[in-house]
Parts: sequence; C-alpha cells; structure tokens
Amino acid sequence: MKSKATKIRLGVLVVVTTLILLVAAYLIGSRQNLFEETFKLKAAFSNVNGLQQGNNVRFSGINVGVVSQIGMINDSMVMVRMRLEKEIQPFIKSNAIATIGSDGLVGNMIVNIVPQAGEASAVKDGEEISSFSPIATDDLLKTLNVTNENAALLTADLLKVTRSLLSGQGTLGTLLKDTVMAGDLKQSIANLKTATERTNRSLQRFEGWMNELDNREGLLYKLTADPETAKEADSILSNLAAGGQKLNGVLDDLDTLVNSLGKEGGTLHYLNSDTTMTKRLERIMINVEGGTRSFEENMEALRHHWLFRKYFRKMEKEAENNGG
Amino acid sequence: MIYSIQKRFEDFFLFTAELSLFAMRYFREAFRRPFEINELLRQCYNVGNRSLPLVALTGFIIGLVLTLQTRPTLQEFGAVSWMPSMVSISIVREIGPVIVALICAGRVASGLGAEIGSMRVTEQIDAMEVSGTNPFKYLVVTRITATTLMLPMLVILGDTLGLYGSYIVENTKGDVSFMLFFNQVFDALEYQDIVPATLKTFLFGFAIGLVGTFAGYTCKKGTAGVGRAANSAVVIASLLIFIIDFMAVVITDLFYEL
Repeated sequence: MKSKATKIRLGVLVVVTTLILLVAAYLIGSRQNLFEETFKLKAAFSNVNGLQQGNNVRFSGINVGVVSQIGMINDSMVMVRMRLEKEIQPFIKSNAIATIGSDGLVGNMIVNIVPQAGEASAVKDGEEISSFSPIATDDLLKTLNVTNENAALLTADLLKVTRSLLSGQGTLGTLLKDTVMAGDLKQSIANLKTATERTNRSLQRFEGWMNELDNREGLLYKLTADPETAKEADSILSNLAAGGQKLNGVLDDLDTLVNSLGKEGGTLHYLNSDTTMTKRLERIMINVEGGTRSFEENMEALRHHWLFRKYFRKMEKEAENNGG
Repeated sequence: MIYSIQKRFEDFFLFTAELSLFAMRYFREAFRRPFEINELLRQCYNVGNRSLPLVALTGFIIGLVLTLQTRPTLQEFGAVSWMPSMVSISIVREIGPVIVALICAGRVASGLGAEIGSMRVTEQIDAMEVSGTNPFKYLVVTRITATTLMLPMLVILGDTLGLYGSYIVENTKGDVSFMLFFNQVFDALEYQDIVPATLKTFLFGFAIGLVGTFAGYTCKKGTAGVGRAANSAVVIASLLIFIIDFMAVVITDLFYEL
C-alpha cells in the first residue's frame, strides 16, 4: 500500500457503502416503528382475512403503526396486537373501532382504526378497542348471488311488461298505441288548459273582491267586522220590523174602509154609483154659476153706490200700503 | 470409458477435498500474527475500488433494464405503481448480489488465478518460502479477506445504483417522484430481505477469493497452466456462487418462511 491517495479512496468506498447500508436499515426499521416511541393497542377479531405480522395500521387513512402480533385467544377469537406511534395516542379515543380491510383490490391487508362519534377518553397503552370483523369475500359473493337472482327475476317480469306494452295490451298499452285516444287526450288537455285559465281569471276577480272587503271604509267590511255598525244595522232591522207591523195595521184599516165603501147605503157608495145624482149636481152647479155672476154685478153696483164708496176706497189704500 | 468417469469422480472429490483443506488453512492462518495489513488494504483497493466502475455500470443498467422489461406486463394489469416494491425486492434479494458476484468472479477470480498462478510458475512463491516470508499468509489470506470484505460493499453500491436506474425509468415514463419511489422501496423492503442478502454476499466474496487463489496456488507448471488456472477460477467461482445462493435461499426460507 504505497500511496496515501489509494488508501483514502478505499476509505471513501467503505464509508459510503456502510452509510448506505445503515441508512437503508434505519429507513426499513423506522417503517416498523423500531426506533420511535410507541404504544400498544389490541383488538379481537373472529376472522382476520389473512392479516400478517408487519401489516400497516391506519388511523384516518394515515399509516400510524404496524401489526406486531397475531394469536388465537380462544377457539373463535383472534387477538391482533398493534404497535402505534406515541404521538397519535391522544387522537385515538377508546370508543374507536378496528376493522380489517384491504389496501386496494390485490393489496396487503391493513387494520383500519375508525373513530366513532361521541365523547370518549384517549386510549391507554395496551388497551383493547372493539372490532368489526370484515365481511369475507365468500359472504360478499353469496350476497351478490342473491342480488343477481333477484335481478334476473325482476328483468323477466319487466320483459313481460314491456312486451304487453308493445302489443298494446292494458291501459298503458292503449295509451301508447291508440292514436285516437292520443287525440282525445290532447283535446282534454287543451280543455283543461282553458278551464284552468278561466278559473284563474275568476279567482283573480274573487281576490279583488276580497281585497275590497278588506277595505276598512267599505260598508261590507263594517257590516262584517264593525260591532257598532252591526248594532245599528240590528236596530234598523228591528225598526223596520216594527214599521212593517204598523203598516200592516194601516193596511188592514184601509181594507175595511174599502170594504165599507163597497157596501150599499153609504154616502160614498151613493156618490159613486147613482148617475141621476151627478146630473142634478151638474144643474146645481150651473145655477150656482149663474148666481155668482149676478152677485158680482150686484157687488159692482154696490161699489159705485155713494153709501159704500168710502169703504171701498179705504180698502184699496190699505192694499196699496201693504204692497208698497 | 468407465475408467475416465471414475477418474473424473476422483478428480472432483480430490478437488473438493483440496479446496476444503485450502479453506481450513486460510482460517488457521487468518487469525494468526503477523497480519499483513498493508497488503490487505492494497488488495481491498484492488478488489473494491478497481471493480467499482464495472459494478456501478452493471447495477445501473440492470435496474434500468429490469424496470423497462417488466413495465409493459405490469401496465397490462394496471399495477405499475407496484414497480418500486417489485424492483427493490428482486434487486436487493437476488439480482444485485448475484450479478455483482458474477462480475467480480469474472474480474477478480480470474485476476487472482492468473496472478498467483504466474507467481507459482515463475517459482516466486518458492522463493518467498526460502526467504522466510509466509507466502500463504501474504498472498492468499490477504486476497481472500479482501474479497470477503469488499464484495458486500460492491453489492450495496450495485443495489443502490440499480434502484436509481429503476427510478429514472419510472420518473421519465411514469412521473414518479424521487420521494415516492424510495418511500415505496423502503415500504416493500424489510430486514428479512436485507440481512440474508448481505450475509450471503460475504460468502460470495469468500468463494471468489478462495477459488481464485486456490486455482493460482495449485497451478501446474507452464504458461498453459496459468491460463487454465484463470479459466477454472472463473468457472468454479461462478458455479460456487450459484450453489451458495441456492443454499442461502433455502436456509433463509427455513428461517423466515418467505
């Protein structure tokens, strides 16, 4: 070994490779939480579906630890022990549920810790949390099988229905196939449309009417809503009733009067029915006329008589004074 | 015919026995003073730094090509996002160590076989023995130790560059960021991938050094012997690498239940 440079180069090679090995070892170890502070959790399952030691444990989708041990505790339960990062401990509550899932369709199995609603204290080191055993693929397929059979029955029925529809059987078939009925339906719908339009208009008017009714100054409102007006209306009605009764009495009296007018022997009946009487009355009236005319001539003559002239002048003067 | 088959079996068992004895002698001598530190460092530099460009280029290209070749298939399944985990596991567990070991078998084992072989042919080794220097200690132990120590380093660098090459393909073809790629790589990797893979690279290095020096040390006379020593060193080292790899995988399988 002559030169120092070759020694140094050899040293560099050794140091670099050792470092690579150490870093790789550390990185792999840190994946299994060998160098961090950890705490333990456990959960009992009836079936772990091929979960292995070293599989990841996820809490809310983050890898927080690994499965450290899997073992039977009795003839039907498997205890899965997990080693989780210490810093995640405050966030896992004691009511959380552990489930076993698969990372992708063909991926590794994983333990999911699912938080639950409600208040609970943080888990303690070594605590057991409740678990939910996964549905095995077989069970899943069984359920799917039943669903498939049901779907087959359903589609067969549907086929029958669509066939009868296409051939025009039943109400729906008629509806689909019958062109006349389609025209009728169209007409009915048009009628229905006009009818609704009209109803709409009527309703609008009715609404206007109701609005008027709501007007506080209107009579209808007062009649329906104002107690004083109601009282007045009440008294008016009672007065009207009383008036009606009185009118009734008057009418009764009138009735008897008219009846009595019809009876023979009464003055009015005589006046009405006797024709000779009217002729005599006419003659009387003519005589009276002639009498009054002659009386007027007499009075004119009297005025011009000296005995009575003074009196008539005085009368004229008074009449003038009154008029002036 | 029967004779030749019998001879071959005899040769094979003889060779195995001699190689085992050679390995035992290495372990005996390796932990006994004096240590040839300077020669060890020189050999480390020879094996490590001198192989570095070759290993780096190979690793980088392997990562690049592996990703390019598997991409269409993964795309067919809509699983391109699994590329980092797939590439990282295949490179770190298997392809990286084996490819780098084979490269080193070609470069280092043949070099050792030729170097020590020519020393044997030119009777330099005999001269060393006469002058009181232990040739086994000075030539063999330092070289085997150097390959044993340096091969893991080369493998680690080769793996790193391979993953980087894979990242470049993923980044240009699929818009995968550096962070995301290496996050997924280290998500996929576990200690059970890294530790056995690294341990077996020590064995690869040991096999390369052992076979290379053994071929040279037991070299027959003549220049043809030197060529045969170099040739057999490469062939046997490569074969041993696969055998060791197979054994390592089987043993790892027993322990980790891959």
